[in-house]
Amino acid sequence: MTITIALPSKGRMKDDASAIFERAGMKIVAVGNDRSYRGRVEGWDDVEIAFLSASEISRELGNGTIDFGVTGEDLVREGLANADARVEFCARLGFGHADVVVAVPEIWYDVDTMADLGDVAADFRARHGRRLAIATKYWRLTQNHFSGSHGIQLYRIVESLGATEGAPASGSADIIVDITSTGSTLHANHLKILADGVILRSEACLVRARKPAHDGDPVVDRIIAAVRGAL
Amino acid sequence: MPLINLPAFSADLLAEFESLGTLRVDTPVIQPAEPFLAMAGEDLRRRIFMTESETGESLCLRPEFTIPVCLRHIETATGTPKRYAYLGEVFRQRREGGNEFYQAGIEDLGDTDIAASDARAVGNAMRVVANRLPGRRLAVTLGDQSVFEAVVGACGLPGGWQKRLIHAFGDQKHLQKLLAELADPRAAGVFGPEVERLAISGMLDDEARLVAHIGETMEATGYSTNASRSPQDIARRLKEKMELANTRLDPDTLDLVREFLALDMPLGEAPAALFRFAEKTGLTLDGALARFDARVAALADIGADVGVIRYRAAFGRPLDYYTGLVFEVEVEGTPAVLAGGGRFDRLLTLLGAREHIPAVGFSLWLDRIEAAIAASGGAA
Repeated sequence: MTITIALPSKGRMKDDASAIFERAGMKIVAVGNDRSYRGRVEGWDDVEIAFLSASEISRELGNGTIDFGVTGEDLVREGLANADARVEFCARLGFGHADVVVAVPEIWYDVDTMADLGDVAADFRARHGRRLAIATKYWRLTQNHFSGSHGIQLYRIVESLGATEGAPASGSADIIVDITSTGSTLHANHLKILADGVILRSEACLVRARKPAHDGDPVVDRIIAAVRGAL
Repeated sequence: MPLINLPAFSADLLAEFESLGTLRVDTPVIQPAEPFLAMAGEDLRRRIFMTESETGESLCLRPEFTIPVCLRHIETATGTPKRYAYLGEVFRQRREGGNEFYQAGIEDLGDTDIAASDARAVGNAMRVVANRLPGRRLAVTLGDQSVFEAVVGACGLPGGWQKRLIHAFGDQKHLQKLLAELADPRAAGVFGPEVERLAISGMLDDEARLVAHIGETMEATGYSTNASRSPQDIARRLKEKMELANTRLDPDTLDLVREFLALDMPLGEAPAALFRFAEKTGLTLDGALARFDARVAALADIGADVGVIRYRAAFGRPLDYYTGLVFEVEVEGTPAVLAGGGRFDRLLTLLGAREHIPAVGFSLWLDRIEAAIAASGGAA
């Protein structure tokens, strides 16, 4: 069986992923020219490489159209319901670090924990005539963290696909759930992370789609062992 | 329009609703999604079927009837009291059962006799379920958030803690976690470094200065002071939070709240048991207990079989528009909830009604009732 590994198609994620595979003894060469979206691994005839965007990789893992993918844990957990039942996180690759966090305006001196936020959310409608609004592109992670872990139900998600950190100052939302690696953008926008507001510490991972066909396939085990050995 | 998938007993049910003095209403299957999400919270989003109009308005397939019936009442402005009945299909993603199923029920809007209308809702729900399942013994669970509110209020906790506990009522896990936190002798509450600076500068004791400082900082950092929380809001809750952090629940009071939450008994015994609880603990619960007793008496007055009803003190729904009575009807020995209801006095104002409209109602899970009929060997 041919095993398909999907790698990020551009940027630092692509370079970092290729470097790890090379250290793992799986040197990736593009098929055709080096802008091609298909590749192979030198000496591994039963493995093919597909270059996809990071969010497509998470979706295709869920669909099972690829066997392995290198992508951010945040995208997998956001994109797939019951992620752990559908995919296996085989290795954490040490790059692409980003935390998914709950951040509120610094000026909210009274809010430093999710419990504080719960109090504010509970009263919000009575005081402002609407629910507390959260700008985010992470619907699922937000819901799990707010309702699942902290019993907060009363809020509204305002979808934000870019410049989420600006939403509270512009008034389009009250708080945000977003990724941050250094916190500098949050700081520049006068936002602070809640003490228990880290929803996920994400990084790039080697992720396997759980497929019955993988059971007992030696190539699957060899790929995992090779990548783990290169870390 | 007769639908061939209607439960066989639908006609009987509607006739019974009519005999109970209700007005049958219909509401569109396609509803604006906003009121459901605003009332029930974001969790509902994954359970309803959403779509969009051409102009980008969020729409959904009717996930339940209470909100549409109330919205219709507000729009038609025909005055109260009104007793509405409905029967139709609702659409929800469920763990068990199909995603489209029939519900029927009664919403009683604007009756100011709380005890009588509560009793009527419970009694009607029991009666229509019993009439579908002759010979089966029902098991009804009843709870009342207002009694819990009275207990928490009488314990002398600061307002912030009362709100937190009341908000968690009905979510047993969350409530127990809060109680444990409240009893933990280590001071709770996380405060940022800014708050320490404010304390040192003496601003925390001078609310006017604090409000002015927050307002100025907001201006300087580009946060408009009117779109979200105001400087007054923040200053007020900061004070409340310091109160929260400084309040520990003594072990006796914690035991008392836990003892209350563990109460579980036949409803007929509940008035005396609650009276004994109040007497023993020295809590003043008079108003709440009088209303509780009046409801039990009203249930007996209308001839409801009080013997099959249990009172469970911790039973509630963690939605902010449920204010008092909640109940569920099952067949004894089976876990399926066949009818559920409660009092939602806050819903109509939340939905935009200008005046306060007390409201109580229930809905029936017709697919589960069909299954129960089939299980007892009747024709479904």
